[in-house]
Amino acid sequence: MSTNKQQVRKRDMTFASRTQTRIWQEIPSEENPYLAGQCRCHGYDLLELAGKRSFAEVLFLLFQGELPTPEQARMLETLLIVLINPGPRHPATRAVMNAAVSKTRTQHLLPIGLSVLGGDHLGGGEVLAAMRFLTANLKRLPAEVARECLATPRPTEGDFHPAPGFGSRFGGIDPMPRQLAALLTASSGSGEVMAWGMAFVEVLTPHGLGWLGPGVAAAAFCDLGFPYRAGAGLYQLICAPGMLAHGLELANKPITAMPFLDEEHYVIAPEARK
Amino acid sequence: MLSRQKQGNDTSFWDQRRGKIHTRKGGWIIGEAVYNCGYSMLDDLVGQASFFQVLLLNVVGRLVERCLAEWFEALFICLSWPDARIWCNQIGSLAGTMQSSPVAAVCAGSLASDSDLYGPGTLMKSANFIMSARSKYKQGMSVEEIVREQQRNPRAKPIIAGYARPVTKGDERVFAMRQLAESLGFDVGEHLELAMKIEDFTFEQFEETINLGGYVTAFLCDQKFSPEEIYRLCAMTVNSGVHACYAEAADQAPESFFPLHCEDIDYQGKPPRLVPEPERSAR
Repeated sequence: MSTNKQQVRKRDMTFASRTQTRIWQEIPSEENPYLAGQCRCHGYDLLELAGKRSFAEVLFLLFQGELPTPEQARMLETLLIVLINPGPRHPATRAVMNAAVSKTRTQHLLPIGLSVLGGDHLGGGEVLAAMRFLTANLKRLPAEVARECLATPRPTEGDFHPAPGFGSRFGGIDPMPRQLAALLTASSGSGEVMAWGMAFVEVLTPHGLGWLGPGVAAAAFCDLGFPYRAGAGLYQLICAPGMLAHGLELANKPITAMPFLDEEHYVIAPEARK
Repeated sequence: MLSRQKQGNDTSFWDQRRGKIHTRKGGWIIGEAVYNCGYSMLDDLVGQASFFQVLLLNVVGRLVERCLAEWFEALFICLSWPDARIWCNQIGSLAGTMQSSPVAAVCAGSLASDSDLYGPGTLMKSANFIMSARSKYKQGMSVEEIVREQQRNPRAKPIIAGYARPVTKGDERVFAMRQLAESLGFDVGEHLELAMKIEDFTFEQFEETINLGGYVTAFLCDQKFSPEEIYRLCAMTVNSGVHACYAEAADQAPESFFPLHCEDIDYQGKPPRLVPEPERSAR
């Protein structure tokens, strides 16, 4: 039954009178209540943090509410380095490079890359799904879960991800995520999720499947104690510097600095023509 | 004696606005109506005004004639090419191949069109150019002098916002839009008349023609829109072309759009080298 406007009534809902946060406290300056004279992150003075702690430690604090242990800080630092650049062939980086060479305002370059990197394939969406998958299956035997995943039908074309964060890339096992996973596993901050992932991959490998970048990120985020709703955004954040750097490299170059396919290589199907 | 404001920390301007939203546009009064610039959206506009009439109403605050809304719709069609080589459209394809959301893809593609080279990002400069040119022309400056002002040196090609175009010379969309404007009964105004005279000169001297942005801004200046209003009205002009490219890529196997070998990237940087050991702190 449709309703007319006279039947539309406001719900009896109580909204908060003020926005709430546990993360950041701004102490007003004595002269002007709109200006902060001091900022605290989870209770720590920001300027004191700047003097005593690394960027990775404060990043951890921001999301988790407490400073990391030295092992956790080292592992996050490693993750920040190994994921710093998805590379110039990654579609999200290519989107940024495309925009930059066509003289998009440089302040838009990063949001463009982040939008593309939010995808469910090798992007933030896959990190989120992989964190859920790893958390849900952690108490089960990796080999048993792998056998179930391998039973799902393979797509007729393209790559196969039997579980989010794991699968093939361009028809093969991507060697870089495998090396990154090994490096992180050796880190003292690495925990049961990364170990579970390594055991899971062992069963997948004979089938031509392995770690994917989002899977490695997801396992590390889980071991570091990040909630899975943080996974997509953290992945975008960590990959951002590389995308931006590639964009800026092209921002002052002529539009001819990137390929523009000629008619011979841009094939329009007969049914699309008049 | 200095006024309170000049002494600093007079916050009365912000205090009046704190905790409130003041609007001249309109809003939703639950159970009564959704008001928009003096109209009730559901009583006066739904089913009676076109989408483009409402877009213009939202942006500039006045309900325009349907013929102008039709002209705008045609303009959006002119910028809706489903060609995945066009920079903003390719971003839609790349988002599709990554299985990003359609909203993210269309936003990213539209954001890319905020460019100094093409798309809505060029329109403010183009509108400011033709307005300034008209003013100079009325004061007696010739078309040639107006164009020559835009040359970096006497031998250089002038760089004029609204003229020339990446990839091709000439713009077939200008012809289509001029024909439409004529059929809709629009007269050629002073800005457009001058813009076409400038084109005659640039074509004769430099083989460069007016582009769609140049035509659009001259036409809209004649319709009494400001450069800011033109930029705002055209903010999302490319969205449907981006959408086409997104949809096609998203419907295919992920990462199958325009894949690249490692060697397809021409690395021109430093050769491999060892990472130096960090210097020990003196502490």
